[in-house]
Amino acid sequence: MIVTHELRKSFPAQRKLFRPAGPATDAVDGLSLSIPPGAVTGLLGLNGAGKTTTIKVLATLLRPTSGSVTVDGLDVVDHAREIRRRINLIAGGERMVYARLTGRENLWYFGQLYDVPRAVLGTRIDELLELVGLTDAAGTLVERYSRGMRQRLSIARGLINAPAYLLLDEPTLGLDAPIARDLRAVVANLARDGVGVLLTSHYLAEVEQLCGHVYVVDHGRLVAEGSPTALTAGTRLPHTVELTLAEHAPAVSAAVAALGAEFEVGVDTEERPTFLLRSPEDLAGELATAVVRAGGAIVRLEVNPPTLEDAILAMAGTPTSVAAR
Amino acid sequence: MRAALRVFAAEGLKQHRRIFGSKLVVFSMLLWPVLTLATTYYTVLPVTEAPGAAERWPLVAQPGRLLAFLAAGALAYTFFFSLVQSAWHFSWERISGTLEAMFLTPASRMALVLANGSSALVQNAWLFGCFGLAAAVATGTLHLAHPGMLAVAALALLVPAVAWGAFLNSLLMFSRDSAFLYTLLDDPLWFIAGVRLPLFALPVWIKAIGLVFPLTTSLVVLRGALLDGKDVGDLAGHLTFLAVLSAVLLGATALLLRVGERHAQRTGSLQLF
Repeated sequence: MIVTHELRKSFPAQRKLFRPAGPATDAVDGLSLSIPPGAVTGLLGLNGAGKTTTIKVLATLLRPTSGSVTVDGLDVVDHAREIRRRINLIAGGERMVYARLTGRENLWYFGQLYDVPRAVLGTRIDELLELVGLTDAAGTLVERYSRGMRQRLSIARGLINAPAYLLLDEPTLGLDAPIARDLRAVVANLARDGVGVLLTSHYLAEVEQLCGHVYVVDHGRLVAEGSPTALTAGTRLPHTVELTLAEHAPAVSAAVAALGAEFEVGVDTEERPTFLLRSPEDLAGELATAVVRAGGAIVRLEVNPPTLEDAILAMAGTPTSVAAR
Repeated sequence: MRAALRVFAAEGLKQHRRIFGSKLVVFSMLLWPVLTLATTYYTVLPVTEAPGAAERWPLVAQPGRLLAFLAAGALAYTFFFSLVQSAWHFSWERISGTLEAMFLTPASRMALVLANGSSALVQNAWLFGCFGLAAAVATGTLHLAHPGMLAVAALALLVPAVAWGAFLNSLLMFSRDSAFLYTLLDDPLWFIAGVRLPLFALPVWIKAIGLVFPLTTSLVVLRGALLDGKDVGDLAGHLTFLAVLSAVLLGATALLLRVGERHAQRTGSLQLF
């Protein structure tokens, strides 16, 4: 298991000639989290929340300023080399591969650096190329790859050492929808096979689909954790119900008002009356019943529960901790 | 050791693909040094015709040997400058994100920079090396105490060059700007190391600076072993100095890599470009 305890990472200000250095920047401030094997754990937050810094500390690319990080009980500073054998990092974008090598050569290059046993390296390269759909382009120079192909190769690179823990920093950024869907399936399968995955993503539907547990950070601090469902429910954000009537019915407004929820009245593009109701609970059933009893003819009823994205946005602006377990 | 050899194999492939991206590179590997040699020869020629020049520098009276002297200089310079170029390319790995990918792996950092430099060296300089040796044999300017001195000359060129390349690569752990390598180490290296002129023609303070660069002593050994028929005994002092200088450069490389990686882990500079 990867465990961070009170992890803090600050970056020193750049020194300037004849001017005093500014204050250090705290990117991660007292973060404690656990990433178990065999599960996908989410790390969410707005830009600048400290997600990528956290991932780079776990990957040994950055050193904690204070606090501790252990991977299967090994300290990330004292046993960096051993930890590098057990982890890998895949970042979104098309970097981290060599343009003048072919896809297969890139994987062979990194396989050599990871000292992957020769007996399995060839087979693993074939399997990974197949996994990311690059078998046919294996012998093509990467400089001739499309952006999506480079990113798929970068994903294969991240799996070349068969890591016990995989750190995914926006892995589907810029990928076509079918490829992103395939990657999600790969990640789910890896977790089923026992790999511990930490995922950051701006595609929150992806996080809801994959992650059993999510940490939400803002300005380097943990503001909430829990399952996506619990996080969404914990924010007490309103459900919205949109209702359109066939024609104006005078008694309907009073019936809606009687439900006690906040609502707005308007008209749609065809001049039909509309109601937008906001409530902590889903009042669609009560609303429909009340409208029909008041003589209204419903032509459209749409219920929008709060999403994880709404919850993250709400939490990012909330300085106090929200326990959502 | 086995893991380090695998790093060498990986870097060998990478450097091969980088350097031989186009077939035209074979011409530039040979034509560029030959053109540089020709330029140098015809630049030095008027100096050799100056009154009294032959008394101070007897070589000027023998154009064939003068050309061999300059060719040895160009050969050694090609070896060392290919490592400056390699370090410059190493700095580009920051931009492509591959430097971070390399540092994610458990591979020895020392093996990485040594492999990077030696692969670039072998692939950049083999053609001109073969050409230079063939030309020296064909023109009868090769003068060896015994055949083993060829190996001594090769080692005196390769070992310090690889140590030099590893040292330059380790410097780039701290700096994102590699342009300074070209500024400091292109023309000044020609001059200071005695590539174009014999060392005795240079002022004492320049000779002192030149000693810091392994190219200077490598060149003395190369010319002594290949052109002047000197043996190991004659060159023992220079060979010892080269061995010490190479060891110092490798020690400094190991230290800089350790401090540099720690600095990058503290400041996040590995991802900056």
